Amino acid sequence: MKILVSRRSMRGLIVVLFAAVAGCVAGGGYDGGVGVGYAVDLYEPGGYDYGGWGPGYGVGPPRRGGDQGRAESHAAPHPAYRPASRSRSMPSLPTHSRGR
Amino acid sequence: MTSRYHGHGGFLTRWSLGVLASIAMMATAAAAPTFVLPPLFQPASSEHHEGKVIWADLVTPDVAGAKRFYGELFGWTFNDIHTGSGGYSVALLDGRPAGGLFQRAMPAGERRQPAWLTFISVRDVAAAERHILAQGGKVLSPPRSYPDRGRQAVFADPQGAVFAVMQSFSGDPQDVLAAPGEWIWSSVITRDPDTDAAFYQNVFGYEVFEIPSNDGSTHILLSTEDYARASLNTLPADVAKRHPHWLNFVRVNSATDTATRVEALGGRVLVKPFPDRHGGLIAVVADPAGAPFGLLEWTDTDSKEIAK
Repeated sequence: MKILVSRRSMRGLIVVLFAAVAGCVAGGGYDGGVGVGYAVDLYEPGGYDYGGWGPGYGVGPPRRGGDQGRAESHAAPHPAYRPASRSRSMPSLPTHSRGR
Repeated sequence: MTSRYHGHGGFLTRWSLGVLASIAMMATAAAAPTFVLPPLFQPASSEHHEGKVIWADLVTPDVAGAKRFYGELFGWTFNDIHTGSGGYSVALLDGRPAGGLFQRAMPAGERRQPAWLTFISVRDVAAAERHILAQGGKVLSPPRSYPDRGRQAVFADPQGAVFAVMQSFSGDPQDVLAAPGEWIWSSVITRDPDTDAAFYQNVFGYEVFEIPSNDGSTHILLSTEDYARASLNTLPADVAKRHPHWLNFVRVNSATDTATRVEALGGRVLVKPFPDRHGGLIAVVADPAGAPFGLLEWTDTDSKEIAK
């Protein structure tokens, strides 16, 4: 069975096809799908233990102005980092809540 | 002018036209943007806090399970965004974005585990990348822009801890005390906090404070704008079974009650609640898929300035 097709509609179809294929090449989403995806290597290595801490293993922030003053001496006499000035007090978390 | 084709040589059959149209539809569907990440914060602002942890994304093979777990545990609700190859869901607490859940199939044949990915604020991702590479870091996912969300990239520090940087197009969140159910703290648990502190200081410009410890291990605090941003801690003994990582903590009213709830919801307690340096309890747990995160009690009293 034969149908009639206008030249205009054929052009339109070709344009849509071209744009769509071009979009396939240039497009990208959160994970891209072109080998540089967002989450390619973001799973942590498996087979390891997490935690394992005991009392005294301080992780959280100190209280502002609390009694955890600066360490008197560093385990390494010449730390790799530049320590904050001795005059600086130990920082903590923000004190004000949202909307206050 | 419209011309018409007649005869065997110039005619398209309905069949061939159908095939062409089908290809066009499939290609169009494939080409459409898979999804658009929403802005981190609305209304947008010009706030910027270099070095602040501003976001966390969970990469997991089971977003549906994660939504059940975190929804029950913290009261988070979720705004789903469908992707071409999986799903992304924005977790909300009282309507405010609290984090993202990203569906990703577990790599076949590898021992891997889900994790929360920590995003640190930067003003310029390209500059951060240069600094990170110069300091011995490694690119895991190169810089990339997401129209409303921002520009971001994923790296590993020289000891292998994975983190991301983000230049948020909607600005950074205000420096306010996190509400219960929100991320409040982040730590790098690493083999050598001393050299890792130098790495993060050189990349993000942190002030570095050493904190006295009772257990003989090194505890270091990273700070910008006079706010504590993260800590660096030595990996516990038996290092061979552990690897360096970032660990994010959610503020809770009771670490004990929340840890109990974690187990009831199918998660695990990795570190039982114990008093941390500020006096409140802290714990480490894992969701049912194995992604670890911390629980941290913090009362308003903890934030008050103590008279000297």
